[in-house]
This record gives sequence, C-alpha cells and structure tokens, in this order.
Amino acid sequence: MNSNLQLDLHPDADSLSAFAEQALGVAEREQILAHMTRCSRCRQVIYLAQKAAQAEALEALSAMPSGRWYRSWRFAWVPAAALAAALALVFTFYPKHTAPAPEIAKAVPQSEQPALTPVPLEQASAGAALKPAPPVATNSAAAGAKFTALHQQPKELALETAPSTARPAAPGASVHPLEENNAARTHSTESVQGLAPQQATVQYKPEPSLTSVWQQQRMTGALSASAKTPQASQERMQATVDRAQAGRSVPAFAAVSHTAKQAAPAANFGIGAQEAKAGSVGSRGANPPKMPSGLAAISTATTQQRALAIDLAGALFLSEDAGQHWQPVARQWTGLAIKVRVQTGLSGAVFQLTNISGSTWVSADGKTWTVQ
Amino acid sequence: MGITPSQPVEDIASAPESSQPAVPSNPLLNELWRESGAALYGLEQQEFNRILESVGTTQNYGLEPGTAASRRQQAGFFRGLRLADLTLARACASGHEGAWEHFIAVYRQPLFRAAIAITGSETLGRELADQLYAELYGLSARDGVRRSPLDSYKGKGSLMGWLRTTLAQRHVDHHRRTRRELPLDNLAEGHEPPAADTKPGKLPAELLLLAKAVVETLEKIETVERFLLAAYYIDGRTLLEIAPVLHVHEATVSRKLHRLVDGIRKQIVKNLLGYGLNKRAVQEMLGADPRDLDLNLKKILQISLPDAFQEKAAL
Repeated sequence: MNSNLQLDLHPDADSLSAFAEQALGVAEREQILAHMTRCSRCRQVIYLAQKAAQAEALEALSAMPSGRWYRSWRFAWVPAAALAAALALVFTFYPKHTAPAPEIAKAVPQSEQPALTPVPLEQASAGAALKPAPPVATNSAAAGAKFTALHQQPKELALETAPSTARPAAPGASVHPLEENNAARTHSTESVQGLAPQQATVQYKPEPSLTSVWQQQRMTGALSASAKTPQASQERMQATVDRAQAGRSVPAFAAVSHTAKQAAPAANFGIGAQEAKAGSVGSRGANPPKMPSGLAAISTATTQQRALAIDLAGALFLSEDAGQHWQPVARQWTGLAIKVRVQTGLSGAVFQLTNISGSTWVSADGKTWTVQ
Repeated sequence: MGITPSQPVEDIASAPESSQPAVPSNPLLNELWRESGAALYGLEQQEFNRILESVGTTQNYGLEPGTAASRRQQAGFFRGLRLADLTLARACASGHEGAWEHFIAVYRQPLFRAAIAITGSETLGRELADQLYAELYGLSARDGVRRSPLDSYKGKGSLMGWLRTTLAQRHVDHHRRTRRELPLDNLAEGHEPPAADTKPGKLPAELLLLAKAVVETLEKIETVERFLLAAYYIDGRTLLEIAPVLHVHEATVSRKLHRLVDGIRKQIVKNLLGYGLNKRAVQEMLGADPRDLDLNLKKILQISLPDAFQEKAAL
C-alpha cells in the first residue's frame, strides 16, 4: 500500500477522542499511535482537541461555585487549628498554675496570722508573706500581706524585695538568687502570680517608693516636695490601700479560676458554633435532589405548601408534600427552563420561572403559568 | 466462528457457550439498558440491543480483527462503553425532542467554547460550531435520508470528547484545504509550498554512508519514539503539548527525548563503524552539515506498516 494514500485513511473521531481520554485497549492504542506517528493531520487534531479540553476544564473550574468555595476556604483550617491549639494549651496548663492558689489563701486566715517578727534579709521576700496584714486589708489575700510587709519594712528592704515579688518576670531585674529562690518558694509569690498583671501592677508598683518615702518622712519629720503635709501623704497612702483593696475584692485565684471556668463553656460553644456552621456549609454543598426523571435538580423554589424544581433537562416538577413526591408540570413556556424562584408580592408568594433566553412566567400554584 | 451483524444479540445469548461464541446474557443487557437511561429518550430495549450489537460487531468488541470474542470479553467491552452518551447521541440522531433538549442544555455552550479554543477566534469558532451543530441536527441528507454524524458515535470516549475531536478534524481539514488554495502571490512571499519529493543529488561516498546509517537507525526505533521525534522535531510541539497525548509528565517526555537522541547517535556511530570506518572518520562524519545529507526525515519517519483504519477523514 502506498504510504501517501495511507494518509487519507484516518481513525474516526470516536477512536481519536478515546485515545486522548486513554479509554482504548493496549492494541488499539498502539494502532492509533502508529498512525499518528506518520499522520500530521491526526496529530494536529489531537493537539487541538486537547487544547479545547484544557480550556473547557479551566472554564468549568472557574464556573463551579463549589470549587470557588473550596478554594477560598481551603486554608481556613490553618488559623482554626492554631486557635484550637491555643485554646487547648490554655485549658490544659493554665488551671494547673492557678490551682494551688485557693489552698494558699485559705491557709492564711486572719486569726492565725503570726506576730510581727524581725525578718532576716535573706528571707525578706518569704517573710513578707508571713507578716500580718494591715487593718485595711484584713482578708487573707496575699496582696494585702505583701502590702503590709512592704509597709513595715525598712526602705532598703522594700526597694530590694519589691521587684522580686511584684514583678518577677521583669527583664533585667537584678535580684539576688537566694531571694529569688525564696520568693519562688513562698505561697505569697504564687498567689501574686495568680493575680492578673494589671492588678499586680496597681498593687505593687507605686508602693516601694511611696511607703519608703512615707516612712522616711515619719522618721525624719521632713516634708518632701511631693507630699506637702502628713495629711496629704496619708490620703495618698489611703488611696493606694483602697486600690489594693479593690484589687483584692475578688481573690486573684478565684477570679482566674472563675474566668477559666466561664471561658471554657464559652470557648466550647464557640467551637460548637463553628462546627455547626461547617455542618450547614456541608449541607449546602450536598447533592441536589433527584427528580423522577432521574436527573438532578438544577433549581428549586419552596413555599410553605409547595416546592418546585427544574431538572437538568429543563423539566419542571411540583411537590406538595415537602419534596417527598414530585409530579411533572405540563410545559406552558417556551425555551428551556433554567431557573425557578419564589417572588413575594402584595398578593402573596408566587413562583417565577425563567427560561434560557431570560423570559419569565409566573404561577401562584405552580401548575398554571402565565407569561410575565 | 464470529458474530455476524445480522445475528441478533438476544438470539445468540440463549445459545450454549460451547457451540456458539459467548455473548452477554439478557440480564446484562437489561441492566445496561436501565443504567443507560435510554428509556428517558423513548429508546426501547430492542433498539438499544441493536445499537449495542452494531457497535460491538463493527469494532469486534475491541479485539484484533478475526478474533472471536468470548462472553466475558463482550461484557467487558459493553461495560466499557459510555452508554448514557451513546443513547443520548442515538436518540438525538433519531430526532427525539427530549434528547435534543438535554443535548442543548448540556453540550451547546461547551461546543461553542471548544470551537473558540480550537480556532482561536470567537467569530471563526462560532461559525465552526454552528456548522457542526447544523450537521448534528441532521440538516444534511444522503440518498434522501437525513443523516447525523451522531450516528457514527460509538461510545468509546465521552460524547464531549467526540464533539471536540470532530470540531478539530473539521478545522484541520478546512485549514489544509484552504492552504492548498493560496494564491501564487502568497507563495512568492515565503509561504511554504506543498511538500514534493526531491531527487537526491550526487553525494560524496562518506555522506552516503552517513545517510544510510541514519535511515537504518530511524527505521528501527519504536512507535512511541517515532511519535516523539515527529511531534517534537517535525511538528515543533512543546513538551507540555506532547505529554498529555502520551499521558506522562512533561519531565518524562524530556527524559525520553534525551535518551532517544543519545541512543540514535550511538546507533548511527555503531552503524558507521560497522561499515568499516574508523572512529576518527566517524567523528568527522558526524560533524557534517545535516543539510548536505539530503534526507527527508519526515518521509523516513512515516515509513511503517500499513494500519487497519478503514474510515475516511471527513465524516
């Protein structure tokens, strides 16, 4: 057979498309490939058909709403997972740190507070927690005990111990290692750790300078520029005590644990809400209902009594029992029906049907349609 | 003993397996008929069976010609068909209104998009698609009978793939026809004339040996390698375009090409050494200008065994 004449015989379109879709058997595929080796026409046909298929795939990808939804949310799990991990860490570790605090507070009742004794310098921070609270802070809160300790300490001691207890995490704070260890061992330090950062700052930050100045003034009888009279100094002191009391009005541990207990269900609710939201999204992406024609519905509309649906072939179906049973509706429109919806007007809800060319028909009962 | 097209599938199905070539049983045909959704288009089961029979016998159930298909092979062949697409195409070809509505709803827009992608122009694409659409609808008549190209769809690939390939065939054929009708002025301006056989001139002896070595080497390479060479060096296609045809990654195509070229070079050297040349002479020969060889590689690559395609290009 002449090879040139052979070029006029080609595989049919079905074989070529099956070749492109890899739907042929080995022998048939080999046969097509052998033909394509010497037939530039069929090679061109295959290239062009594949180009069209790729263009179609791109078009379908951009037109698919589920694809867009998937693409836009596919990285949403990253922040969601980070948030969940952070919440899990908080609920796992935070209560462990705050748990000893209630026992510490209970272990220091007012009646059992030890008498005021001189405290060695190396035990200053530990001793501060054991000293009796002042009358204004008779509750067993550790903050009050700390205030009392600072109030009665010499200026140097107060200045030295304050950073180690009130602000243990301050970077660059020069604290004696022994003092730091002692402070870490004391219950008062733990209770202070249980305080919210803001409370701790309000309670301790102004105290060293204020109490030391007040003590100095009382001992020397001199007035500083900032405290003109003992009365003014006393008022400022009272204000500080009030702030401290305000900070203690709810015990630190109680506040923390209470907050943690309250936060847990709230967080759980939040997660539950997210799951519920995901569930609703999932149901939105579920398969459309199947019509009696066996085809999927492409558009549905529902009122309280009736439901209408258009299948892939453009046939309209009516259901009067919430989609349990469907009946075909006789065609009273032209063109291919593609969309049905409920339109609420003054006369109540009516169905509106749109065909492929954009013309619309309306119906009150879903059975009888008039052009709009 | 083979199955003749005139022999209904139902009759053959009832025959014992030992005496008759095996065919799918009626339960299988019933199942396929239900799965295909042929009833939606008013296609009765007998008509459906006839279509299957026709498709199976014309393709010999996907086997080599002359090979009798067993029952299992026939069943496998039928299950491999796109039955839903096949019934839709046949229902459209027979003029079923519901089938046409479904066809329009599903395939009309993709058909336009495919035509535009193939022609690279919206105007030409719409023209091409409209032309095919009119043919599909059966506007062309042969012997007084309206015929639709959809009748030739056999369900091996998808219907959309068939439509795309048909569009591409029409476009290529049209392009080739009109290219031959170019005015002489255009040819003078540098358009390539149709390929013509050129008589080889007298070549030096060493170049004749080289040409002989090249031809012998290329004749021995396999079909896939031959296709790779044709697609890459003759058509000028990119790796990205070739890869989906062979269903491999473009990196694989690149590797195969490199290996192929290296192998061809080595084989040419081997052939030349076999002709009695020494290594130095062979290396000098390989440095010759390929244009001096007067080889038509396109023609060499086209030499292969005749195939069994019986169908003309145009439907």
